[in-house]
Amino acid sequence: MIEHQNLVCFRGLHLPEPWTMAAYESIGGYKVWRKILAEQTPADQLIADLKTAVLRGRGGAGFPTGLKWSFLQRNAPGQKYVLCNSDEGEPGTCKDRDILRFNPHQLIEGMAIAGYVMGATVGYNYIRGEFWEPFQRCEAALAEAYAAGLLGKNIQGKGVDFDLYNHLGAGAYICGEETALMESLEGRKGQPRFKPPFPANYGLYGRPTTINNTETFASVPVILADREDGQKGCDWFLNLGKPNNGGMKIFCVTGHVNRPGNYEIPLGTPFRDLLELAGGVREGHTLKAVIPGGSSAPVLPAATMMELTMDYDAIGKAGSMLGSGAVIVMDDTVCMVQILTRLMDFYYEESCGQCTPCREGSGWVHRILWRILNGEGHIEQLELLESISSKVIGHTICVFGEAFALPILSFLKHFRQEFIDHIKLKRCGVADGQV
Amino acid sequence: MDKFNIEIDGKTIEADPGSMLIEAADNNGIHIPRFCYHKKLSVAANCRMCLVEVEKAPKPLPACATPVTAGMIVRTRSKKALEAQRAVMEFLLINHPLDCPICDQGGECELQDVAMGYGKDLSRYTEGKRTVKDKNIGPLISTEMTRCIQCTRCVRFGEEVAGFREMGGMNRGEHLEIGTYLDHNLQSEVSGNIIDLCPVGALTSKPFRFKARAWELQQRPSIAPHDALGSNINVHLRRGEVMRVVPRDNESINETWLSDRDRFAYTGLNSDDRLMQPMIKRKGVWETVDWSLALEQAAIGLKEIINLEGADELAALASTQSTLEELYLLQKIMRCLGSPHVDHRVRQIDFSCQDAMPLFPGLYQSIEQIEHADQILILGSNIHHDMPLLALRIRKAQVHGAKVHAINPLPFTYHFDVQHDCVCDPQDMIILLMGIAAALNISLGVEASISDTAKAIATDLQSGKRVTILLGVLVEHHPQSSLIRHLAKLIADQCLGQVGLLTEGPNAAGAWLAGMVPHRQAAGKKANKMGQDAAQLCETPKKGYVLFNLEPLDIGQTNVMQTLKAAKFVIALTSFKQADLLDVADVILPIAPFTETVGTFVNLTGLWQSFTAVSKPFGEVRPGWKVLRVLGNLLELPGFDYEDAFAIRDELKAQVDAFTPDAPAPLPAITKPSAQEGLVRVGHWPIYRGDPLVRRAQPLQDSGLNGSVAAFVHPALAVRLKLTVGQHVIVQQSHAHIQLPLQVDERLPMNVVYIPAGYSETAILADYAAVILGAAT
Amino acid sequence: MKAVKKFFKTFFLWELLLGLKLTGRYFFVRKITLQYPEEKTPTSPRFRGLHALRRYPNGEERCIACKLCEAVCPALAITIEAEPREDGSRRTTLYEIDLFKCIYCGFCEESCPVDSIVETGLADYHFEKRGENIMTKQKLLAIGDRYEPEIAAARREDKEYR
Repeated sequence: MIEHQNLVCFRGLHLPEPWTMAAYESIGGYKVWRKILAEQTPADQLIADLKTAVLRGRGGAGFPTGLKWSFLQRNAPGQKYVLCNSDEGEPGTCKDRDILRFNPHQLIEGMAIAGYVMGATVGYNYIRGEFWEPFQRCEAALAEAYAAGLLGKNIQGKGVDFDLYNHLGAGAYICGEETALMESLEGRKGQPRFKPPFPANYGLYGRPTTINNTETFASVPVILADREDGQKGCDWFLNLGKPNNGGMKIFCVTGHVNRPGNYEIPLGTPFRDLLELAGGVREGHTLKAVIPGGSSAPVLPAATMMELTMDYDAIGKAGSMLGSGAVIVMDDTVCMVQILTRLMDFYYEESCGQCTPCREGSGWVHRILWRILNGEGHIEQLELLESISSKVIGHTICVFGEAFALPILSFLKHFRQEFIDHIKLKRCGVADGQV
Repeated sequence: MDKFNIEIDGKTIEADPGSMLIEAADNNGIHIPRFCYHKKLSVAANCRMCLVEVEKAPKPLPACATPVTAGMIVRTRSKKALEAQRAVMEFLLINHPLDCPICDQGGECELQDVAMGYGKDLSRYTEGKRTVKDKNIGPLISTEMTRCIQCTRCVRFGEEVAGFREMGGMNRGEHLEIGTYLDHNLQSEVSGNIIDLCPVGALTSKPFRFKARAWELQQRPSIAPHDALGSNINVHLRRGEVMRVVPRDNESINETWLSDRDRFAYTGLNSDDRLMQPMIKRKGVWETVDWSLALEQAAIGLKEIINLEGADELAALASTQSTLEELYLLQKIMRCLGSPHVDHRVRQIDFSCQDAMPLFPGLYQSIEQIEHADQILILGSNIHHDMPLLALRIRKAQVHGAKVHAINPLPFTYHFDVQHDCVCDPQDMIILLMGIAAALNISLGVEASISDTAKAIATDLQSGKRVTILLGVLVEHHPQSSLIRHLAKLIADQCLGQVGLLTEGPNAAGAWLAGMVPHRQAAGKKANKMGQDAAQLCETPKKGYVLFNLEPLDIGQTNVMQTLKAAKFVIALTSFKQADLLDVADVILPIAPFTETVGTFVNLTGLWQSFTAVSKPFGEVRPGWKVLRVLGNLLELPGFDYEDAFAIRDELKAQVDAFTPDAPAPLPAITKPSAQEGLVRVGHWPIYRGDPLVRRAQPLQDSGLNGSVAAFVHPALAVRLKLTVGQHVIVQQSHAHIQLPLQVDERLPMNVVYIPAGYSETAILADYAAVILGAAT
Repeated sequence: MKAVKKFFKTFFLWELLLGLKLTGRYFFVRKITLQYPEEKTPTSPRFRGLHALRRYPNGEERCIACKLCEAVCPALAITIEAEPREDGSRRTTLYEIDLFKCIYCGFCEESCPVDSIVETGLADYHFEKRGENIMTKQKLLAIGDRYEPEIAAARREDKEYR
């Protein structure tokens, strides 16, 4: 059974109107920020705390945040930037939206601390174009924070500057890629940049930049706050989860469960428990497959999934990714060909078109899958799909190539027979029980 | 930092730190396939064709975007690398139409070449291919966007080199299209370069469309004859006919670029106006005759003038499109006949500084040095139109941090940031310059007021370490050109900078060296007998004229037509028929344009660039130097027995090398300028109206860069004169009046009327002269 | 004896009879002589005779002026000039084959991406005036129009090997 729930990013969820400053401060909000301002805590100490907590990037890659923040030297000259990646476009993911809606102040506090740690005086919160309501909440929260003198120039007279801006995107999935986000923020077409140089050296406007996910930033104030029982926040945070997988993570459970939604639970919780929390699969049906980390993570069959714990390392070992924590649950009514085709429709539309393998490959697999789905496929096309996917992987500028190629390979690995049946029957056999 | 060793394909090579892998490989003859990489453009790394295996890297890396590191071990042809390259090739080909048989790029296509090495015989792609609607981007470039492989070279060229972002990528993913978003003619004066850059047949030359195949073409080197840069070109011919012109790499002059004027002017070569045979006028009627008769007539005519009127009644005017050899022989004939009246400065009004000129006008620094300047002051030049490729160098300097200032009597558009863009009337130009000089504490001897702009420019110039002041054609044509030169010189000296003269035509420097000026002989020797300059020659009629490569509308002097009409005998040596010329001339001798003759152009850095004929002369046409040689023989003048054109060049070269010119005379004293009274007409030869050949290049005329033939005024002036836009107005000067439609441009100074030169409609108007505008009834 | 034998052989014209026997045998054998030009031998579909330019069934000429035949021709017998037609498509304005130069190697046919230039089965043709040896585009298209059924049949017959 899950012992703790909603303790980090969703800690104010039980309050009425938790997005207001008053509500946030009632649960200890901005205490850390005020304390840092008052004590002028050395940045190294804050980074050390983050490292102790093993806060891993919540956007998908799982890169340790403490390490990332240490790349940017607080005292290095020149303008530096802190960016928050709230361009949450991954199908199945909706955690950042709820943070922006229900806990924007915690994000602001997290970003302000980040700005302080890295000596960045300007921060941008790049919010997905479709998030109009969350954007307005964030704007309101920002106004409150400015009014309270927690942001701006020479904050609280302590000589610390930090200006934060919310920026509404224009609806491109690729702008969730960190360098494409920067291009977009600079006013250009959202296309990923070639790396190296990495954002820590050459980021927004060519200046050193740190970019993190919304959930990552929102976790920071909790980690740096001391607990009521005297325990250090970072130790408490680490102990919530598993070693090397500190803290809590929001899982966005979608699909064929009785109670889909966002669940903030400790990392390392067994999937079995999470499924139970979400009400289990629909009555009369059995679990077929799960995509554990958003649509670009490889799919895992039910049997594998039921034995796994939800953390970066365990899922990685099983051949998938924890990614953004979007758990897409599929029961036995699902046609895997149709699912994959739907996913590839998305990637076909969202490829930025900059580099060849992704631009051409996404269209090619999209067309082949539609043929198979429409009963016009050939058995050789399965090998062709695998061949195309393997030729995309590792050859592109950003990881978008992997994002659509890995699911194809995993679908074909675990559910190949379903594709073969589709080709032989020339239609879907799942729905009428023929398969 | 020192070079270090890296290993590519088992070969140890030296590489510069900071360079990319592909550069190191290219420098050592190791070929890595590529599409989006171009040595002159930024790295995009989007085609992924240059993926290579680098030891210790988990994935294949793009050679164009991977910096070399010491001890790096690279394999470009290992299994992993080849697999990656072949994979990318397959992806590139799935949506490429493979319509090579009807594609003009076929035979010289990078995609074709690379596909031969990395493509498969059979495609695994059985789906429908993507098609893209073609864009109409003007009369110079034809598009076939379905063939596009989205390498974005054209986009990056516009953004980075030309400074004029016209092409861009629209839409995402497979729907990514390259285009101008809204269909319109490309307005860049160097747009043709994207034809060369495009690795496939998406962007090809429109005038050349479907005319010839790459394998049919013969390539001959030549020199572009339109601006003083002397861009190096290759002329491509098929069966002796010029098919197209492409740039020839020369880092110190044109790099790998070519202006549209140099690239497409060849389309004028075969115009209907081309003269095929000599012509003489008998009783007012033109007859085509053979060479012996025509030359005889020419010689008789010249002798008659000399015998009856005296040699002093004979004058020769030449254009700077003429070769060094032609100009040298022409002035030699004239001086041998006893006439010192030779000039090539047919658009200049003020000659008072001619003795102060050095051996030849030029940049007095290398073209590359312009890139390294940190303060550039452009005076009187529409730099992008007058010298497109020099403008690219200035742009490079500006991008690297140089500040550019411009002072012009007309408003021009720049493709780089201009710190101070001053548009003021001709007199205010001088006042502003005096202000700058005064702000720099130069004692002028006359009173000068320092405006804020002058002060700001002066401060900037003073802060510069490498200051360059460029004087363009509008200064050359200025009625007080000497004064401006003097001021520019003083300012440059004060800032330890350099003054460069941007002359017109490909061979202005050559004309000075050849002695095609009334006060100096060949090699800059002082003339024994001082001749009259172009302005005087046009003002006070002579009895006989020789016009070399000149049409009356190329001459910027007042009363040209009356003067020529009044003359007893006019010989025109030219390549094209032209109404005014037919009107005034008595003998027309058809001479070969640059593609059909051998010769030398001296560019603005003083570089002698010789070229040979690339094709046979058209019809009965003869190279100009041969015509002049025979004319010299017929006139029984000594020293006209040259074996070939190079003998002429060598003779002149020997004189130039042997003669040390005297120090130039001091520039004339500075006088106080008077304020402009009334309206002044300022003319400028638009980009594609400057010489007879380019005027006949129809695609360039259609490109729209010339602007319209109209009288342009400030809107407020139009209101004051109660004139409306589009209305026909009478443009009145002391001696002439014409009707033109009225246009407004709010960037014009209040008292300046811009009327373009280079059109027969406007040829009668004098440049920089007072003008009265009135409504036409 | 030998002499007697020889005498009788001579007397009865034995050699003549031997000779007539051969004549007699061929007199009754099936004749192979053809009455050319009324009769002709059958030719292979790959026969390389007079050239022709073909059209598509809708009347559009096939040739797209790719100039591959001109490039491949070892005898330099083909001359092509091209420019955009009014509708913007790539077409020849001049297509000439000099039959005095042509060596009938068939490379032009092989190189053609659209099966436009073909060599027909026609082998009997002559020229009466100098200049007639130049097959112009009009002539070649006319030959193609006239013999299209034969040309198409020959291509059909050989299609598996093409």
